[in-house]
Amino acid sequence: MRYDVCVIGASMDGLAAAAALALAGLKVAVVERNAVPGGRAQTHEFHPGFRASPFLDELAPIPREIHWAFDLTRRGALFLSAAEPGTRIAAALARAFEEADAPPRRTAWFERTPPRRPWPGEELALCALADVTKGDLARPLEGRAADPALAGSALHLLVPCNGGMVAGGLGKLTEALAACARDAGVELTLGTDVTDIRNAKGRATGIGLADGSEIEARAVISTLDLKRTFLSLFQWDALPKPTIKRVSAWRMGGGTARVLFALEAAPAATREPIAIGFDAANLSASYAAWRAGLIPETPPTVLRLVSASDPSLAPQGAATLTATLGSIPFRLFDGAWTHEKRDALRDRALAAARTVFPNLGIAAAEVIAPPDIEEALGATEGDLWGGEIASDQMLDMRPGPRTEIHGLYLAGPSSASGPLATCASGVAAARAVLADMRAGRLK
Amino acid sequence: MSSSCDALVIGAGANGLAAAAYLARAGKRVIVVEAQNKTGGLCQSVKLAGDFSAPLAHTLYALDPRVVKELRLAGRDLKFAVRDLAVVGLRADGKHLVLSRDVHATARSIAAHSQADAKAWKPFRRELFSLARAARALWWEDGAFADARLEPFRRMSAAALLDGWFESDALKAALAFDATDGGLSPLEPGSALVLLWRAAQEMCGLQGAAAAIARGPQVLTDTLAEAALSAGAEIRTGARVAKILVTDGAAAGVALDSGETIAARIVLSSLSRRQTLTALLPDGEAGFGQHFASPRTGSAAVSLALKTLPEFSGSVAPRNARFILAEKMESYVAAHAAAAAGRLPDELTMELTIPSAADSSLAPLGQHIASVLVRPVPLAADPEQLEAKVIAALNRVVPGISAQIAAANVAVGADTTDVMRLAMRWNERLKTPLRGLMVLEEPVTAISGRAGRIAASLAAKENDT
Repeated sequence: MRYDVCVIGASMDGLAAAAALALAGLKVAVVERNAVPGGRAQTHEFHPGFRASPFLDELAPIPREIHWAFDLTRRGALFLSAAEPGTRIAAALARAFEEADAPPRRTAWFERTPPRRPWPGEELALCALADVTKGDLARPLEGRAADPALAGSALHLLVPCNGGMVAGGLGKLTEALAACARDAGVELTLGTDVTDIRNAKGRATGIGLADGSEIEARAVISTLDLKRTFLSLFQWDALPKPTIKRVSAWRMGGGTARVLFALEAAPAATREPIAIGFDAANLSASYAAWRAGLIPETPPTVLRLVSASDPSLAPQGAATLTATLGSIPFRLFDGAWTHEKRDALRDRALAAARTVFPNLGIAAAEVIAPPDIEEALGATEGDLWGGEIASDQMLDMRPGPRTEIHGLYLAGPSSASGPLATCASGVAAARAVLADMRAGRLK
Repeated sequence: MSSSCDALVIGAGANGLAAAAYLARAGKRVIVVEAQNKTGGLCQSVKLAGDFSAPLAHTLYALDPRVVKELRLAGRDLKFAVRDLAVVGLRADGKHLVLSRDVHATARSIAAHSQADAKAWKPFRRELFSLARAARALWWEDGAFADARLEPFRRMSAAALLDGWFESDALKAALAFDATDGGLSPLEPGSALVLLWRAAQEMCGLQGAAAAIARGPQVLTDTLAEAALSAGAEIRTGARVAKILVTDGAAAGVALDSGETIAARIVLSSLSRRQTLTALLPDGEAGFGQHFASPRTGSAAVSLALKTLPEFSGSVAPRNARFILAEKMESYVAAHAAAAAGRLPDELTMELTIPSAADSSLAPLGQHIASVLVRPVPLAADPEQLEAKVIAALNRVVPGISAQIAAANVAVGADTTDVMRLAMRWNERLKTPLRGLMVLEEPVTAISGRAGRIAASLAAKENDT
């Protein structure tokens, strides 16, 4: 059976792409490796009665038009605090959508010929975050590895994580979007691994699954990051050498680790996130440690008593506390991430939490280190944002939705619109597919 | 007291004197005012006890070949002691890395650290040098960045560039020192452009070479001063400028500390853009929205007078070379973070040369000068602490050097390269909001004369219309 479009990964981006295409009347299949959809936007019970979103508490904001188009509120996604993409991000998104709608340019992928029209937000590319924002560094740098004194760090402002918390956890947002996709006629297959992207003569023809079957499609959208898409879903000789070189040179950033605490008793309720260690000196030192493969002495940490804003996340009288740690290296200089090192990380997060809440009774704790993120989400090096946020890897220096393989589209965090807003890269890829189909470029 | 001229140049460094020479040759009446009692600026040498002469800038890598040719400096005593210094990465394990112009020999030297890097060396060098030649339109002429391949470079960091090509710490560390020229961290966008800028330069007809002038870089400014004087310019030393005079939104001359005023329609300043516009202009004349990069880190020139020629431990290395002391790329990152926070880094990253190895006029017979460029250091580095730390670091690669030191001198300066202005056109880089006032600023602070040459031609053009 042949589909119009096949989407790899049921993340927010993948579901958005699938829903948008199905709403346009196409036949769409989504294949997800995990048993639950959502990718980063999941919620799970890490201790009986205690629930939390394991990778992030808040996503980037969802643009209002996308939120409305999928009718997410009626489908059960209730934001406890709403946020909109800022004006600069909105302008950059508009530019990304414009490029998706436009016919493909004849220049090679990644290549830019001057004179070119600068992207909105490009003015940040050579600025240091500390020079641009006065004061609050925790908001843009939560869970990141970055030195705000270095030029280029201001680009973190284009990668927000302030979309607001969702009642019942981020998993609810996924459920709403998945319901929208299913209603539109998307076939969602869970628990099935994609082994490769079938291709012939530089053209993607479908995907191969772990059970040996194959799904044929006119177009394939990958929501995996750039490296995983091109380096693990293709035969080694299927791609042109320059493409492999460019993809191999792509740098991953990340540096996120999470510790989820189940608390026996609720401390004095505070809904505001508490930032610890976000002074410029500590951020610089932590970043240097991250580069050297060391766990920083005092990693920049954001604490959230998530059950204070959302009581459904903890049993009555108890509380759930999450700690988001930044500048935690994926590769440690002295070897693998062992249980001892995970415990040490938990103790550092606990020490940070005890500076704010002195008498914490811990019922259970779960540590999510960068390798765990890579394993759970398939995000290379545990980078939730699909590549280091650097001036040569942002905006138009990120790949657009169209790739060098005809019929293969890239959504997900590595694409140009990926880090800017939730669902945006999926919608951009869907728009590129629709534009190409209308123009007769996809058979 | 007052006098007047057509063009006034503040500062008698390489750029100021080159500008003066060109303007005087074009028939302008030119006065150069210098605050110090001697000319030279960055080209000066310090005298150490016992007849040692230590150049502060121990290598020259950005001298504009057209300045040398057009002002006929070679006919006026400008001779080179070394035309092309190799880069040697000094390693604690004794496997020193020698990067010379001979790509095959270099590849063999790299192979001791990594076979893959040895293979990548030739294509890397070819690509960097060909791109650098393409970028000369921007850095040598008043042209634009016109090559599509250059686009990604504008926003790339040196670490990203080198990580993409090489795997061994030794090679990346040896190459990254040049990227920190001007005080950037190799992680910052623009630092790859600094590497490219270095590769675009030409010394003695060799692309990307570092050379040393016989009898020290002072000879360069001396010959430039000679060229300016013989063309009719006037040079006044010991004349510090207090203010730049402004009438009707245009530069009208300068007032000196002594109270004297000199009227001039063209004023060229060798001071930095920041100093010129904030300290020398009357309040409110600099205009709004000016962007100044404030220096975050500095570099230090540590000159050591040695009783004997230093002997390196480990494999044989050439004497006439720039020796880079840095363990790995992360050393620069950590050092930059520490220096920007005002602390002396644990591991100093530095470049060592032995100027007297090729030029015996700098030291008494049999004795030597070792010149160490330490970068980055905090802006307010304590000279004594720094000196002790440099000597301790040198002792590891040159055992026993501490016993050989007869005298030492430490000079700390601020590094002010502005990422925003690296890929700017000369026209925008030199001009200021004030008509007739230009700053003689290079893309990366260096002894070049190019800014002076281009400013002189822009000023002459402006004055004619």
